[in-house]
Amino acid sequence: MFLALRELQHAKLRYLLIGFIMVLISWLVLFVTGLAQGLSSDNASSIQNMKADYLILQEESDHRINRSILTDEIWREIQRHPAGDHASPLGVHMNTLTKESSTAKFDAAFFAIDMASMMAPKVVEGTMINNTDAEHVMADRSLKDDGYRLGDRIVDQATGAAFTIAAFTEGQSFSHAPVIHLNFEGWKALQPSGSQQGTIYNAVALNGSPEQMDALAQDIYGIEIITKSKALQGIPGFQEEQGSLVMMIVFLFVIAAFVLAVFFYVITIQKMNQFGVLKAIGAGTGYLVRNLIFQVLTLTVVSLAISIGLTYGVSLLIAGVVPFSLTPSVVLLCSLLFLAVSLMGSLLSLYRVIKIDAIEAIGRAA
Amino acid sequence: MKQSKLMLDQVSKEFGDGDTSVKVLDRISLDIKSGEFVAVVGPSGSGKSTFLSIAGALLSPTQGRIWMGDHEVTKLSAKKMNQLRLSHIGFVFQSSNLIPYLTVRDQLLLIAKLAGQQGQEPKQRADHLLERLGLSHRKNHYPESLSGGERQRVAIARAWMNDPELILADEPTASLDSERGRTVVQMLADEVKLRQKAAVMVTHDKRMLDLCDRIVYIEDGKLSEQPQPILL
Ligand SMILES: Nc1ncnc2c1ncn2[C@@H]1O[C@H](COP(=O)(O)OP(=O)(O)OP(=O)(O)O)[C@@H](O)[C@H]1O
Ligand SMILES: [Mg+2]
Repeated sequence: MFLALRELQHAKLRYLLIGFIMVLISWLVLFVTGLAQGLSSDNASSIQNMKADYLILQEESDHRINRSILTDEIWREIQRHPAGDHASPLGVHMNTLTKESSTAKFDAAFFAIDMASMMAPKVVEGTMINNTDAEHVMADRSLKDDGYRLGDRIVDQATGAAFTIAAFTEGQSFSHAPVIHLNFEGWKALQPSGSQQGTIYNAVALNGSPEQMDALAQDIYGIEIITKSKALQGIPGFQEEQGSLVMMIVFLFVIAAFVLAVFFYVITIQKMNQFGVLKAIGAGTGYLVRNLIFQVLTLTVVSLAISIGLTYGVSLLIAGVVPFSLTPSVVLLCSLLFLAVSLMGSLLSLYRVIKIDAIEAIGRAA
Repeated sequence: MKQSKLMLDQVSKEFGDGDTSVKVLDRISLDIKSGEFVAVVGPSGSGKSTFLSIAGALLSPTQGRIWMGDHEVTKLSAKKMNQLRLSHIGFVFQSSNLIPYLTVRDQLLLIAKLAGQQGQEPKQRADHLLERLGLSHRKNHYPESLSGGERQRVAIARAWMNDPELILADEPTASLDSERGRTVVQMLADEVKLRQKAAVMVTHDKRMLDLCDRIVYIEDGKLSEQPQPILL
């Protein structure tokens, strides 16, 4: 691209300024995206990492796991149903805990699961607990950062039940609180005293086809079946947090499109006479369009590379202080979107370049 | 017999349509042969630039036919006209219409690039042209650092770059003082003679006319040929 490169080189300051603005905007886009992702996993990684596609909740529970109550009876009905073959129950209980022989309190979410099922979390330290030992639990690794160690004992403030941490897990949080996994033997100790109805669950996780889910919902009275992403929306605060961040990202993309459109347009207008001359001496419209697109792409790709570097740099600085997570696939998606936006920004300029007539060059003082 | 480089046959041009139409050129015929350097003169607004644009395939005539060598220009598609301009015509515009971000040498190389020529040959051709026009020491300068005369000489070198059959110049000396203007026109005339090509130059400057072989006069849309050089 003979023309494009020479122009970039000659008008360095002008294109540096545009590049600088593009770096800033794309940096902000990537950073806010990282924050949104970070917050969402800080909020709900236990649901996100769950190896199930659907959750069965009680009818009328507003998609909220903590509002739903499923009795043992319903659970047995689900198990008997052909579609409920690989279903696994889940008990969720948010509570305030203390460390034994200490007054420091913290909030945590107890997840009661079948340790032999697909619901079992990934253990990063210690040993996985079994289905019979009511004494031991597995805690999310964030508790370790707060000073808890394997073998420490924690006490549920409401019921007084005490457990020993046998293992640490990874990526397990619910409503911004660490998740503590226990089996259904331990779960009994957390039930309100005097409850007669046997074990109470909050949800049942399962995989299957949409048709199977429809059949299940038809056949069993009093339940509703939601997808995992619906369940995420039902976690307190999740939708509000993500909504405002996503809105910021959308606005940033819109702003980027307009800023770039204005910049490219002004530059193109300044060069109208030149384009006329170029067409008069035989440059085809296609050639000029290719040059303009090449310039836009070069600028965008270089700016994106810089801002991706900056984003990861800053994420290292704030690691542990602010929840931040940016996977390569999300970076790729954002970058592609940004490329599309900058190409859209150059559409108006492209239109002008296509419309310029070679005749402009003749009989006019420049 | 000398080869015809550009032939206009009963060419008319009207601007606008219906009631408001203006006839700028009225059945103009002209035949330019190789080795001829033709001056076009006439009052302001008489249609000189329009004439040049039509001769240069930048504008299509309302009526009439135009031949350039063996090609009938009036029958070509827009894309073909573009190619014809690239390979057959060299333009020199009124004021330095050089590309500001290209060095003198790159201005010439761009033409070769547009024509899809690669390798060393275009570079040698460009260097040779610049040398002939006394611009070798300016090869790597940008237009902004050249004098008006130098810029026009670069424009002429650029116009010759693809070895066109015809050079069209619209007031190439308008932004120059008469001495520099004369040098530039002299170079144009010399190249036309040397290569046996043809050139048409629109000018207001009567002092340049003695360098031309023919003088055509446009007024009220009519074209008439003046005998040369007795007129002056
Ligand atoms: N696109 C157009 N639409 C309508 N009228 C036009 C157009 N272009 C030129 N004209 C008219 O045609 C006439 C001839 O214009 P042209 O530019 O050819 O004159 P000129 O001889 O080059 O004048 P000058 O010596 O001042 O450069 C003028 O009256 C002008 O107003
Ligand atoms: Mg004119």
